[in-house]
Amino acid sequence: MSARVDTAIERPGNGVLHDIAYLARRYPLGVGGAVIMLVFVFAAVFADWVAPLDPFTTNPRASLAPPSGVHLMGADMMGRDVFSRMIHGARISLAVALGATFLGSGFGAALGLASGYVGGWFDLLVQRLAEVMQSLPLLVMALVITASLGPSLPNTIIAIAIPLIPNVARVIRSNVLSLREMPFVEAAKATGMSEWRVAIIHVMPNTLAPLIVLATAQLGSTILTEASLSFLGLGVPEPWPSWGRMLSESAAEYVRTAPWLVIFPGLAISLVVFGTNLLGDALRDALDPRERD
Amino acid sequence: MAFVARLMLACLLILCAGLDAARAQKQGGVLRVTHRDNPPSTSIHEEATISTDMPFMSVFNNLVVFDPDSKQNRLDAIVPDLATSWKYSDDDRTLTFQLRDGVKWHDGKPFTSADVKCTWDMVTGKVDGKMRKNPRKTWWFNVKEITTNGPLEVAFHLNDPQPSLLVMLAGGFSPVYPCHVPAAQMRTHPIGTGPFKFVEFKQNESIRLERNPDYWKPGRPYLDAIEYDIIANRSTAILALVAGKFDLTLTGEVTPELVKDVKAQVPQMQCLVQPSNTQGNLLVNRERPPFDNARIRRAMALAIDRKAFSDILSRGVYNIGGAMLAPPEGIWGWSPEFMATVPGYGADVEKSREEGRQIMRGLGYGPDKMLPLKVSTRNIADYRDAAVILIDHLKTVFIQAELETLDSAVWYARLVRKDYSVGMNVQGTGIDDPDVMLFENYLCGSERNYTAYCNPELEKLFHQQSMMKDQEARRKLVWEIDRKLQEDGARPVVYQSQGGTCWWPYVKGLKLAVNSIYNHWRFEDVWLDR
Amino acid sequence: MLSYIIRRLLLMIVTLFGVSVAIFLLLRIVPGNIADILFDSAGLIDPAEKQKIIVDLGLDKSLPVQYGQWIFGLFRGDLGYSYVSEKPVIDEILPRIPITARLAGLALLFAVCSGVPLGVISAVRQNTWLDYGLRILSLSGLSMPSFWLGLLILMAFVHYFGTIPIYERQPATYWAWIQMLVIPAAAVGFRSSALIMRLTRSSMLEVLRQDYVRTARSKGLSEGAVTFDHALRNAVLPVITTIGVETAFLMGGLIVTETVFNIPGVARFLVEAIRWRDYPMVQNLVMFIALVVVVVNLIVDLAYMLVDPRIRYGQ
Repeated sequence: MSARVDTAIERPGNGVLHDIAYLARRYPLGVGGAVIMLVFVFAAVFADWVAPLDPFTTNPRASLAPPSGVHLMGADMMGRDVFSRMIHGARISLAVALGATFLGSGFGAALGLASGYVGGWFDLLVQRLAEVMQSLPLLVMALVITASLGPSLPNTIIAIAIPLIPNVARVIRSNVLSLREMPFVEAAKATGMSEWRVAIIHVMPNTLAPLIVLATAQLGSTILTEASLSFLGLGVPEPWPSWGRMLSESAAEYVRTAPWLVIFPGLAISLVVFGTNLLGDALRDALDPRERD
Repeated sequence: MAFVARLMLACLLILCAGLDAARAQKQGGVLRVTHRDNPPSTSIHEEATISTDMPFMSVFNNLVVFDPDSKQNRLDAIVPDLATSWKYSDDDRTLTFQLRDGVKWHDGKPFTSADVKCTWDMVTGKVDGKMRKNPRKTWWFNVKEITTNGPLEVAFHLNDPQPSLLVMLAGGFSPVYPCHVPAAQMRTHPIGTGPFKFVEFKQNESIRLERNPDYWKPGRPYLDAIEYDIIANRSTAILALVAGKFDLTLTGEVTPELVKDVKAQVPQMQCLVQPSNTQGNLLVNRERPPFDNARIRRAMALAIDRKAFSDILSRGVYNIGGAMLAPPEGIWGWSPEFMATVPGYGADVEKSREEGRQIMRGLGYGPDKMLPLKVSTRNIADYRDAAVILIDHLKTVFIQAELETLDSAVWYARLVRKDYSVGMNVQGTGIDDPDVMLFENYLCGSERNYTAYCNPELEKLFHQQSMMKDQEARRKLVWEIDRKLQEDGARPVVYQSQGGTCWWPYVKGLKLAVNSIYNHWRFEDVWLDR
Repeated sequence: MLSYIIRRLLLMIVTLFGVSVAIFLLLRIVPGNIADILFDSAGLIDPAEKQKIIVDLGLDKSLPVQYGQWIFGLFRGDLGYSYVSEKPVIDEILPRIPITARLAGLALLFAVCSGVPLGVISAVRQNTWLDYGLRILSLSGLSMPSFWLGLLILMAFVHYFGTIPIYERQPATYWAWIQMLVIPAAAVGFRSSALIMRLTRSSMLEVLRQDYVRTARSKGLSEGAVTFDHALRNAVLPVITTIGVETAFLMGGLIVTETVFNIPGVARFLVEAIRWRDYPMVQNLVMFIALVVVVVNLIVDLAYMLVDPRIRYGQ
């Protein structure tokens, strides 16, 4: 049954270039997504070197300057360079996306695994809790959580991560339930392995594929949730150049006077989420045999 | 020659004015106004925001009002409203009003002197009027007692002479409330004597007022109704105005930048950019390090480039001044010559900053050892923007500040607890008058005196200026008081904001004053030329 | 079947009880209460006045007492009074529900009407440029912040038509009413449409590979007839799934869309109520939304059973 993971590696030929060519033929959209993500991650990691100007320095003379050679994407009301802020903003988005997804998926997976494995009253409790959380609108929960924790980067990550938990927990739980009945698990138990060892050695690795698929799918929605939170005045606070915040402030004021302040951050958000979605699709195709053509 | 030309121009203007008056004002129509947020309640006496003041001022009358034809709200331009005449006693300690006869509340009950007494007994705190809150109690610090003499005469008895009392009574925040309507109802369904009757207030959605057919001023108002739609997103509101879905914006809501854009799209749109009676200032906590150190306070003051604030936030439209609104719009602000002599207001910012750096070096700070600091502010765009600029300026004197944005629900609680180092604050003042500004914000123990600045010597001068009859001499004294406030760093004022109000040219009879946004929303003279 | 429904209904009550406790506690954790907000608008705090408000509203009572008052009120049909407007909560919420319901309904309609046909086309023309184009379109739908899309639409409207479709209280005709809501509905429904498109495509692909389709084709049925017949049958499941998945998520989109297009519905109102710490309003609104979500989920599950006989529920 570990063939589930192996399907991705099952391919003809050798060598990295060959692999890439193969992947590009097989998942052209997925490779497109990967390229977008690479650019995004590169910008985030090397922001200090890539950004031409300091993202925090205000400059009265450049206030609302339109795009030009100096300011590739123009400047905002404070005269801060939008291009540089966008690049540094990639860092914030990446931190939010990765942080929230890891946190949410991690907790969700652990809960799902435990609840599927332990069963009984614990399982019931987790399931009821998941139901409660799922019947609260995601944005509302995030709103209330950021409101209580206060606006900051870590708090935003937590607020976005918590609503992710039940979804992940449910998927993992149902996976575990079906895995438990699998012959290879039964066999492992028959050899006298303890329940926990079976869970960790045999069951957990096999939940990895769906977990990865789910997590990639959620990367995008975490970025979108951060944007929505910022749009409503919560989320990552100034002066941090969060794309969502940049967009929300300009959306309120500069839709006409300085459209570049509305267009570029929105475009960046859409593009990165688009990239994660392409990548997520390709991953799902590769890892989930049912979806393969 | 120039004289003749000017004379002819004057004649032409008078002629035009005559023609304008001769053209009959049209009756009817609904005035549609954009509104920015949900008014906390409909009770003007309980609120201190334009969100309540502008929509509901037209439900009420005052005792007296600012002359709508005067461009500036001032003591010598006050005209009758519910009071037909008024007179100070010989010792200037009693102000007696004769009231208009035959005025009726919107529910049909007659208006009498008892209503006036009730209203001011309530806002002065002498009687528990069951208000949830009473934000302007300090305005009436000087009112000892209110007495009536028959239904049409009421007298305000004062501790000390106070010419400015009339100014406060004339403001939009001083309507006369009916005695027979409980405060709780005034918060949800206000009853007044004004030209418009309250019809409906849908939370976060709309406000509707309708013409009062029995208004005491014959032939007024012209409009059938006024409707406010609450549109939280400013871009949407402006787009809707330009698209012709609205006739007027909430006052002060159109930034100078947006005014330019609106005019570019609709050249005939009327827009007035004027001081919004709000100022950005710094709340410095002198009890908490590092600001218990006067030298660091001074270094911070030297780092601030007021012109940069004005340039960034408004393309140089915002006024620079002290506590009092700067001229030419304001009456009590420093003249430019006087301002140049106040420390921190000099033109050479680089020189000031160098001085600031010297101070900081002396304390052991430098480019490699910045002083860490937290700048707290409210999570509202106006506040945040100013705070971001402040942080950028502080870097020039080796202060590495971090922004802490606080939810509105926590902000004032934090201020009261003194749980902050330096706060970027934006505050409004109802009326351009020193009695309001000084007593509200700088009096020892006043509720709005967040930083608990207390200077008994200066406070004597507050009272002295309040009693002065000679307004010219009073202004000179106020200048000195203001200078002292800035020198003490009581609440360093960074900028005085301006905001635009836009309306379509067919909206006629709208008269605004340049030194207040709060006092001209009776709408009784407004008509639609459509 | 009946025992399954009864079991689900019992679970629903447990869930709603959990939601009530969760939102009640969450709101109390949020710092600041209505008294702070009221004084915020006045620019000062008078401790005595503040204390009076807290006592008047019963906020000084212990949490179990406050919770009990709310829940027992709910059972009596008494939702309490809004702290801000001081009017009955029911009078504030009821008129706003139809507005949001209409918007959500139109959005779902838009999503179904555009998502299903495009998904079918995409599947039938699998791995052609048309398919790639449509997949990219559907992915963009899932990638754009809905308020950004809304703003772009508004900007375009102003640019090309000189007017914008924002809410008017009394639209003259039914047609005007549709016109007014259709743009925001499209903005918020684009996401759901993209989701339906994807699900329709993948379930179509699955079906097209099935034996009986091959049989049908080999029997000489035209390609069009085969596709149409199976398309309709297979479109139902993705639509149902989407409705189930999206009800809770749609609320988020509705909140920002109602803000951008200034539609006075429940969604935007909820955000304002949270900001004002208007506990009775938030608690009852969230309960209402949770009720809608659980009921919709139940209906979706039942619909699954009806549509797809392969699915059986029970122990």
